[in-house]
Amino acid sequence: MKNKLLEKLILPVFLLLGSIIYAQSVTGTVSDASGSLPGVNVLVKGTTTGTQTDFDGNYTLDDVASDAVIVYSFLGYKTQEIAVNGQTVINVLMEEDASQLDEVVVIGYGSVVKKEITTAVTSVNVEEFNQGVISDPIQLLQGKVAGLSVYNKGGNPNTTGTMRLRGISTVGGNTEPLIVIDGVLGQSLNNVDPSDIENITVLKDGSAAAIYGTRGSSGVILVTTKSGKAGQPLQITYNGQFATSSIGNQIDVMSASEFLAAGGTDLGSTTDWLDQVTRTAYSKIHNIAAVGGGDNANYRVSVNFRDTEGILENSGFDQFNARTKFSGKLLNDKLKITVNSSLTQRDSEFGFTEALRYAVLYNPTAPVFGVEAPFAFNSDQFGGYFETLGLFDSFNPVSIANQNKNVGEQSTLNYSMDFKYTINDELSANFNFSEQVIKTTTRQYYPTTAFFRGGALSPFDKGRADFFTSESRNKTLELFATYSKSFSDSFDFKFTGGYSWQESDYNDHFLSLGDFPPGIDFDFSNQIESSQDLLEAGQVTARSGRNDDDRIIAFFARANATYDDAIYFNASIRREGSSRFGKNEQWGYFPAVAIGADLNKYLELDNVDLLKVRLGYGVTGAIPPGVGLSQTTFNVDPGASGFGPSGTGQPTRTPNPDLKWEEKREINLGFEFNSGSWAATVDLYNRDIVDFINEVNIENIGDGDRQFQNGGELNTKGLEISLNYDVVKNDKISYNTGIIFSTYKTKLVKNPGGDRTIANLGSPGQNDTRMILVREGEEVGQIWGPVFTGEVDANGAQILADLNGDGNLVTDQGNALAEDADFAVLGKGLPDFEIGWTNQVTIGNWDINAFFRGAFGHSLVNTFRAFYEPIIGSQSSYNFINTELARPDITSAQFSSYYVEKADFFKLDNLSVGYNFDIDNSYIRNIRLSLSGQNLFTITNYTGSDPEPALQDFGAASNADFVSGSPDVLAPGIDRRNNYFTSTTITFGININF
Amino acid sequence: MNRLIKLTFLFSALFLAYSCTDLEEILEDELTSQFADDGVTVIEGATDGGILPPGSLLASYSGLRNGTAGHGSYYSIQTVSSDEQTIGAKGGDWFDGGIWVRMHQHTIGSASGPVNDTWNNAYNGIGEVNLALSGDLSANETAQAKTVRAFHYLRLLDLFGRVKIITALGGDAPQSDRITVFNFVESELLGVLGIAAVTGSMDLSGSALGTGSEPYIVNQFAVLGLLAKLYLNAEVYTGTARYQEADWAATYIIDNGPYQLCGVGCSVPNLAQRPDVASDPDNLEGYAAVFAPNNQFNPEMIWSIRYDEVSAGGMNFSQMNLHYSSQLTYGLDAQPWNGYQVLEEFYNSYDGADARKEANFLVGPQQDFGGNALLDFAADDPDLVLDYTPAINELVPNSIRQSGTRAKKFSFQLFGRPNMNNDYPVVRLGDVYLMRGEARARAAGDWSLAGPDVDVIRNRAGLAPMAITADSFLAERGREMFQEATRRTDLIRFGKWGDSWWEKTNSDAFRTVFPIPQNQIDASGGSLTQNSGY
Repeated sequence: MKNKLLEKLILPVFLLLGSIIYAQSVTGTVSDASGSLPGVNVLVKGTTTGTQTDFDGNYTLDDVASDAVIVYSFLGYKTQEIAVNGQTVINVLMEEDASQLDEVVVIGYGSVVKKEITTAVTSVNVEEFNQGVISDPIQLLQGKVAGLSVYNKGGNPNTTGTMRLRGISTVGGNTEPLIVIDGVLGQSLNNVDPSDIENITVLKDGSAAAIYGTRGSSGVILVTTKSGKAGQPLQITYNGQFATSSIGNQIDVMSASEFLAAGGTDLGSTTDWLDQVTRTAYSKIHNIAAVGGGDNANYRVSVNFRDTEGILENSGFDQFNARTKFSGKLLNDKLKITVNSSLTQRDSEFGFTEALRYAVLYNPTAPVFGVEAPFAFNSDQFGGYFETLGLFDSFNPVSIANQNKNVGEQSTLNYSMDFKYTINDELSANFNFSEQVIKTTTRQYYPTTAFFRGGALSPFDKGRADFFTSESRNKTLELFATYSKSFSDSFDFKFTGGYSWQESDYNDHFLSLGDFPPGIDFDFSNQIESSQDLLEAGQVTARSGRNDDDRIIAFFARANATYDDAIYFNASIRREGSSRFGKNEQWGYFPAVAIGADLNKYLELDNVDLLKVRLGYGVTGAIPPGVGLSQTTFNVDPGASGFGPSGTGQPTRTPNPDLKWEEKREINLGFEFNSGSWAATVDLYNRDIVDFINEVNIENIGDGDRQFQNGGELNTKGLEISLNYDVVKNDKISYNTGIIFSTYKTKLVKNPGGDRTIANLGSPGQNDTRMILVREGEEVGQIWGPVFTGEVDANGAQILADLNGDGNLVTDQGNALAEDADFAVLGKGLPDFEIGWTNQVTIGNWDINAFFRGAFGHSLVNTFRAFYEPIIGSQSSYNFINTELARPDITSAQFSSYYVEKADFFKLDNLSVGYNFDIDNSYIRNIRLSLSGQNLFTITNYTGSDPEPALQDFGAASNADFVSGSPDVLAPGIDRRNNYFTSTTITFGININF
Repeated sequence: MNRLIKLTFLFSALFLAYSCTDLEEILEDELTSQFADDGVTVIEGATDGGILPPGSLLASYSGLRNGTAGHGSYYSIQTVSSDEQTIGAKGGDWFDGGIWVRMHQHTIGSASGPVNDTWNNAYNGIGEVNLALSGDLSANETAQAKTVRAFHYLRLLDLFGRVKIITALGGDAPQSDRITVFNFVESELLGVLGIAAVTGSMDLSGSALGTGSEPYIVNQFAVLGLLAKLYLNAEVYTGTARYQEADWAATYIIDNGPYQLCGVGCSVPNLAQRPDVASDPDNLEGYAAVFAPNNQFNPEMIWSIRYDEVSAGGMNFSQMNLHYSSQLTYGLDAQPWNGYQVLEEFYNSYDGADARKEANFLVGPQQDFGGNALLDFAADDPDLVLDYTPAINELVPNSIRQSGTRAKKFSFQLFGRPNMNNDYPVVRLGDVYLMRGEARARAAGDWSLAGPDVDVIRNRAGLAPMAITADSFLAERGREMFQEATRRTDLIRFGKWGDSWWEKTNSDAFRTVFPIPQNQIDASGGSLTQNSGY
């Protein structure tokens, strides 16, 4: 006893003496695998003495006791503690914190440690993103998240991809996932440059998304942008990318000689029209970012320039984006203020995808210019170009691409302010406010010499200018508080509750006019007062629309509990109201509950790090696709002389005051498994979408024949698997490979609109030819039509199969659903399953990334073939499609199974090779060079340009008609003639850290 | 310091990449050279005029425009199902899933889109009237509105037979049988005339309707015209003949109405006269003037539907009928669709001397605006000149692009727009003469009694009197009423509907009415049932 007492007394005295006696300085350099590490916190344990490493990773600590322990910490790295033991130089090699289990994942109104997640959530970090020229942030995720389909058919740089999470979640509602950027709801992804994104997290199932209630049905995508770190000295990064794209797959057409041999009309020249309207496109991207931070504040500022060209002549865009993120602490670190702002200015040259379409079908013997016409031809009328007269739907593609103008500007501005006040260790409160303003202008100008939409042939009414402007404003205000408490060692509890308010205001204007003075090469869209239409009643088209105060208000609460660090529980509820619903049904409740357990904690299996089972159930809602759908609309007759005295009109849409939330009820069972170099996640789900909103035909008794109704039901069952394996992992070489697999089936359980066929093939000659079946009790997206027997009759018509063998061939579209109809399911628009296969290899300073992607089981209607492959006599001045499937004996057009093709594909989507130079001098820390290829090869039997699934349909357009704006999600599987063509892109990238 | 220089260099390079050294001044919104006007003078107002209905009834009247003279609805199903016109599948063009082939061959099913669109147009029109009637209308306006509604029901009676009679906005009603619909139309029309029955000595002084000659506004004569149509077809609709009343109604119009046949001296300027083509006439006279773009003051019109290229769209015959290249003959604003073709036999039923033949059809080699040969680069034959041939090689699949003469009774004008200006007759005096002649003949069972009225019509066409039988009368009526959507009704009344013609052979008896559209049956919750046979 005495001895011990003595020790207790003497030791501190000794230590005190020692510290006095042996006080010393410690210096050193902190680095990681790639070089010196600035901004690392260096602290003497148990004291407030500390510093940070400078730009070169050096630090100096004075007055350090010789027996002290120094703590080195840096976000993303394992914290190290090193005893001084009299050393004066301590160099530290920091190790990255690879423990993914402790990774924090944002889940909406907060974040949670990854292993505690009880719902289906996938988080993708910057290093896993797709490489190359990515103009649309969501493309970063293509093929990376099991269950998320992203397809931008043809890859037009000016269009964004179609996203589907676990298939369609609604028919009439909003089908795209909700985007949340740095915690702010409903923001535009277009206002985030892909270079600024740190992480994208996808909330897949109902129990995860229910906290976002209404718009959670189609999934939630949470984007976290890069930010500065406290105590980090200024660091500047430059990223540059230089890319070249060339046309990938195209549709095979006849050459001039083949065309003539097939009986085509000879116009005397030989022109490769696709070659004429496409080009090798060059793109440049520059991104400069500065990050830094002091004790109480940090910031990140970035600017991005993009100059992207499309492979179609005169298409592409220039974009400028600036983003700042500032975060500071006040009031003794209790109040944290974060301010985000972003501005994007995009100048687009949309070009005309019609030029590609007509390049396919234009006579290959036609000359580009009228002077080369084989007969007298008035070229001046068409600006020098040749045009084939007397044909339906035939326009010189070079003239379309070069004479006309289709441009637009979009500026998007948003800012958000977030105040987080930490009341004590257990309670904190957040308040945030944000606003987003999007202004869009598009302009089309068709000169007086344009045959395509310009009326060059019209004796009057030549030329046309269209203008469209829109402005949308979106305000969000949210308040929420979080309370967390540990009740004992084994029970942690967290509660979050809050209020959310959003308002959208929108207005637009459209103006179209023409009849400009001919015979002068001038862009009259800058001087529309020259339009003779202004004198002609009815020739000017002007429209405007406005809807304001489109509001959503919600109250929400969530509880998370953890027991024994192995059993996790999560429950949430949101009560939400939207002004878009019928008077009687504006409010809805969206509950969710989920539980998970790490079984390994109890089983203690050998070599297993995690064996988690989780089960979740959640209800989410979908908002109607527009405002006022529950109300009557009227068709006002504009009277006799323009706007006459008549204010009367008849309802065209019947009101529905009971229009209510559609609900998606989803149950998700998930397994997560980690064992050494293996990781696997499996999710099984079943979702019922009930009361889906859809505009349906109602019986016409004189007060409208359309109404928005609830009442349909969809069911989707699916399976998602992701596997990850570290094949090799050591200091010199690492090879990681991962596969994601997803499959689902969506069935139309209840269909208020009645069984029908949809998706008209279109002109010429194939109107009222509907290719997709919508039938209760069956899968969504079945392609429906008569079956080609392989035999052709003397007239050159396909002999169709008498499927029911009743001796009576019923293949006309009017009887497509009749009992005796000889129609069959010809294919499925949606794939059976999709896979993504990632390979990441690091060898020393080299890194290689190969990403393969595929979809299987889907078909596409190849509409180019359906229209232009038959050798139709009267079509001898259009070119013929000439795929390997072409049959010269078919000489009349008839939609059948022959034009529905399996479109399974597997492609090398992305291959990139990079090299890191460790420069590490006082100016440049490191340089990375990379080379990547996108869309390098595709294995498919599909004869069209792009075998990727067409998830939705924009309908047919021909003869210079405009493609409609709203897609039909029930009609997947149609490869329309107005799609962009795929391209292959090679990108050289340079990344410099200063 | 070094670092700063490097950064400066980098930013400068970026700046240079986004600007240029070109200092050329561009004035995008100022003309910097002179230009000439296009020199085209459009005669303003040539097709305007006529007194319009009151504002409270504009929507009721304009509901009639939908489908009456456009593609895909009433006009199309009445016309393509008859032996008058067809829409051949021209190779890849106009096959449209076989719907028009089946329409012509009488093999359509209840899912036919055009039949459903016809139904919708009718009930939309009825809805407009019901809405107007729920407002504050004068007695005269109420009578006009009810007449418009009765006309919709007359069409529904003729097309479908068994329909719902909806007389108030938002109100539903059970499906009525054909006789009930007939009785409703009859009582509504008699009601607005203020009489209990049509007789030879009726007194219309109790009617709220006027007797003025503004063809856009329903008057007593228009109502009598509808009654004549109703009674003439009563035997088909109800099984009971009412020819005497048809005769009385028509006679009252002829004797008391301020109308006259448009014959010699009745002319309008020819709005299709090309400046450099000497053979284009200055004026359209007689029959041709009745249907011209500037027919708004024609003395033969008792009730017409006003169409206008700007404010009253819906007449699209130039688009529907003409070949693509014919755009260049008239300088049309939009490219036509090359759809409707006239059957050869029908065209050949006209005598060479018949003035209506020239007025009704476009035939032979075509010329462009300057009078030169008109070319079709995709012609089926080596001769590129567009030549409308009376013969049509086949209905499907490769009907020759230029085959079939093209209907131009509602004639075109230079620089015409897709929406035409010609007014479309609901009741005109020429039809009234023919209805009276037929009613008299049928009432007495003696076709020669139709002679005097038929002669009036033939005389205007420059033809001598002819021997009259049921068949020759039907042919004459066909020639006169071409393109006025009466041919299907006439064939049914004359018992010729089930006959075979050209590529049509089906003779199903139940096809004298169209099927109730399947969409409507599906949406009706069982309150609509299908016509028998479909």
